[in-house]
This record gives sequence, C-alpha cells and structure tokens, in this order.
Amino acid sequence: MTKSVAIIGAKGVPVGKIQSTPDAPFQVVEHEILAQLVASAVGESGVGKEMIDALVFSEPHVYTRQKYFSTFMTSYLGLTCHGSVMEVLGNGMTGGLAIERAADEIRLGRARVALALGVNMETATPASEHMNITLRATGDVDFHSPAGFTPISWYAMDATRYMHEYGATRAEFASVAVKNRRHAAMNPLAQFRGPLSIEDVLASRPIVDPLTLLDVPPRSDGAVCIVLASEDLAKELGRPYARMRAVGSYHEGVHQVSDRPNDMIAFNAAVTASRSAYADGRISAADVDVSEIYAPCTVVEILVTEALGLAPRGGGARAAAAGETSLGGRIPVNTSGGCQSRGHPARLTPLYNALELFEQLTDRAGDRQVKNAELGLMSCELGNYNAALVHILERMR
Amino acid sequence: MNLMSVITVTGPRAYPPRVTRFNAPFWQSLEEGKFTTTCCNKCGEATFPPKPICPRCWALNPSWKVLSPLGVIYSYTVVHAPPSVFAAEAPYAVGIVDLDEGLRVALRLVGAPERLGVGMRGTVVTLKYNDGPYFAFMANE
Repeated sequence: MTKSVAIIGAKGVPVGKIQSTPDAPFQVVEHEILAQLVASAVGESGVGKEMIDALVFSEPHVYTRQKYFSTFMTSYLGLTCHGSVMEVLGNGMTGGLAIERAADEIRLGRARVALALGVNMETATPASEHMNITLRATGDVDFHSPAGFTPISWYAMDATRYMHEYGATRAEFASVAVKNRRHAAMNPLAQFRGPLSIEDVLASRPIVDPLTLLDVPPRSDGAVCIVLASEDLAKELGRPYARMRAVGSYHEGVHQVSDRPNDMIAFNAAVTASRSAYADGRISAADVDVSEIYAPCTVVEILVTEALGLAPRGGGARAAAAGETSLGGRIPVNTSGGCQSRGHPARLTPLYNALELFEQLTDRAGDRQVKNAELGLMSCELGNYNAALVHILERMR
Repeated sequence: MNLMSVITVTGPRAYPPRVTRFNAPFWQSLEEGKFTTTCCNKCGEATFPPKPICPRCWALNPSWKVLSPLGVIYSYTVVHAPPSVFAAEAPYAVGIVDLDEGLRVALRLVGAPERLGVGMRGTVVTLKYNDGPYFAFMANE
C-alpha cells in the first residue's frame, strides 16, 4: 500500500526576463534566487527544513553555470536527505516529472516531505540563437533538423491541419490568447498583464504560419518550489492542502512525427493519459472544475482541451471563442494566464501550473479564484504531445 | 523508375547531417536522385528515417528499398522566425508529407510558400548543395 500524497505549499517568483546579460555589473545567479524561494515555500507550508528528505529539480538550462545543481543546492540549503536528490529532464514534461518523482519518494515512504523545484534562466540569449540548440530536438537531428524545423513549427502544422479539417479561424485561436491575458491581469506572477485584443493578436508579426507572435510563447525565466508531503502529515498540520487524487501517463512511441500516417491533431497521448487519470481517480472529465494545461501556443490549448474531453472533438476553438474556457465559463482553463501571458519558462511551466492549482484549491487565487473548485487537472507533454502526463488534484480542508 | 529531380543549390547546407557507415547508402542514393529507406527482412515493414534495427520487430540487417517519391501534403507551415543558422533562407516552408507508399515524412517544402495547401500532390526531390545532398518536397504546378 503506497502513501497518499499532498501538496502543502507552492511559491514562485514572478515570471519574466530575469537572467542578466554577460556585461551587467551585478549578475543574477540561480542558486541565490532559488534558495530564498525554498525557504519561503517551506516556511509557509508549516514544516521544518529537517523534515525534507528528497529534492527533485528540473534540470537547469545550459546557460546555468553551476553544475551538479541538485547536490550543490542541497548543500547550499544545509539539508540532509534519506531519499533522492536529483535532476530530471523530459522536454516540456520536465516540471511534471519533477513533481511525479517527488511524489514517488513520498508514495514509497522514502520521504515525508519532498520538494519539486527548479530555476529556468535563458532569456539573455536571443531566440534565434537559443533555437540553434532546440532545433536539435525537432526530430531526427540528421534527417529532420537540417530542414529547418523549430520546436513551435510542429504546433503550427497542427494549426494548419486543424483549420483544414474543422474550418477553425485565426480569430478563434487568438481568442485563447486574449482570454489568457485577461486571466494574467489578475495574476501577480504573470509576465504580461496589459490589455490585449483579438486585433492585436491578428496584427502581430508572423512567426510560424498561421501563428503570430501573440499566439506563441514569450521567452521567460522563473523559479518555483512545490512542497509535497504524505497526506498523513498534511492532516496533522491542520491547514488546507491539495491531495494528489490521480495520475495518468502515456507515450505513444513517436518523436514529433510518426512514420506512419496518423491523426496528428488527435493528441492521442493526452487522450490516453487523461482517460487513465480519470479512471485512477474514479471521475470523468465533466467533474474537473479548473485546469492548467501545458500549451505553448494558442492552438495547443484548443487541441488539448479536446483530447482531455473538456471540449468536443473539433469544437475546442468554438468553445474557447464562446468563453467556455474563461474564468466564469463552463470549464476555466489556464487561470494563471497560460504560457502566452503567465509566461513559459519551459522547464518549469508544469511546476507553475501546479502552483496555480494549489492556489485555486486552497482559495489563495484572489480575483481569479474559481469558486468552489474541488478538482483541478494539470497536463504536460513531450514534443507535439506525443507523450502526456496528467495529474488530478483535489481540495482538502 | 522512381528517379527524382535533382535541384542544384548554391552554397553549403545550413545544418549538415552526419554520414555514418550505416546511413551512407541513403545519402549516396539521394545524390543519384533516389529516395531510399530501410525495410525489415523479417516483418517486411519500412521505416523512415532509415534505421539499423526494425522499430517494430527489432530484427537487424534491414534491406535498402527505393521509394516512390510521390506523395501528398498533410500539413505545413512557413517559418518566419528561424534559428540563426537558417536565417539566410527565411521565410521558408516545412511540412509533413504522406508518401503513396504509406510512409509519413517531414521535410523542407520548396517552391513559393503562398501557393502551398493541404492535400496538394507533389514529389520528393534531391537538393544538391556544394557539400552534399538533402531532400525536400515540391508540390505540383
């Protein structure tokens, strides 16, 4: 019998351009930021540092100078651990894997308190240079990358295909960005909080057709710490917490593109992973009250809501444009502001999504609070959602 | 039979692929205007890109097979914001093509981006650069 897992604390720094340029007189150093954040997150959760027995980090980017980051940080924080101290990496799923591995330490009884955390610094390097690294992830590095694919070019091809099959419009995609900006305006951690219109999105410069600048994620830095504990301990603390009710994952054995014709925009991994999670939690998609979806581009949020069963197949764009995924709508999606406006420090996005759900399920979300939210869903992915990891969190008083 | 157009391109490839002892026949054939891949001798399944192992049954020592270069565009995009190594070529189109022989490939699309569309038929072609070959898809006129 494995132990039930709770999230008892979550803190993040405001997402934005944090990384210093090489010529700045005062440099921004990752471990200084993260150490202060960890102390704050753990302090607010009501446990002591001596109770922490595992730390699972998202692996910092190549721009982070400090190596052996996990063991270095454990020393920097003066911690001793019986459980795992490690870094994980799994493309867009990285932060989700950090949570899942930290949860495993608790499930298996190796730790009563475990941290899932990370710091992502990359914005001092321009996108055009950063992509010289990330283009190596866009397929087979010798057969596909030489064609000039970029990571978001796959989502653009999803968009082209979705428009072809269902007659969706760029304005419907843009409605997702506008909705997410409206949510972000109420989130103090969000990178972009000013007003935004459909026309602004449509008029922004083309990036990967049919997606424009405001359909795609900004460059973002961030740091975040999620405090997990055994549910027994969470109950002893006597404070509201979020229980990890269910989990589902699936890898469809494809890297970006299958070599057999398939339905690329069905996002089969998200379909299968969410069905597993719903079965694990003995719930259905209709029971979800709020969701935080890993969706770098507007069209991805639409396709994932369909794959998760939150919108009908082919109807996700219309549902978004009709306000069904807005705060106050049928199923609020990305109340944090999502990747476009909360920001997208890629290796941390699932951790920021967990932070948002923790706030929603413990009534800390302020003006963007979904009233009486009982169940929250978060999902994250590998390239082009060929793999997905879905968690269901539950409010516990 | 199955011979492709070979289009000469000035200059080197922006991000050249690595030739291995295993994959050298692919690049050699491509230079000669043939689009090839590996085909399993045990289960008969082809795979792309070519691999020294069959991903379906894990049999080794596959055979090389010349593919028909004909296919149809499943989806595509035009990249306006490229990695700096491709900056000189932007904007350029990339896409996903379903070959008539039942394989799906992702590759560069050549020709005017504004006349591309989902469902257009066309053919894989060889791009012959100064430093070696690469492949792309050209939609029919």
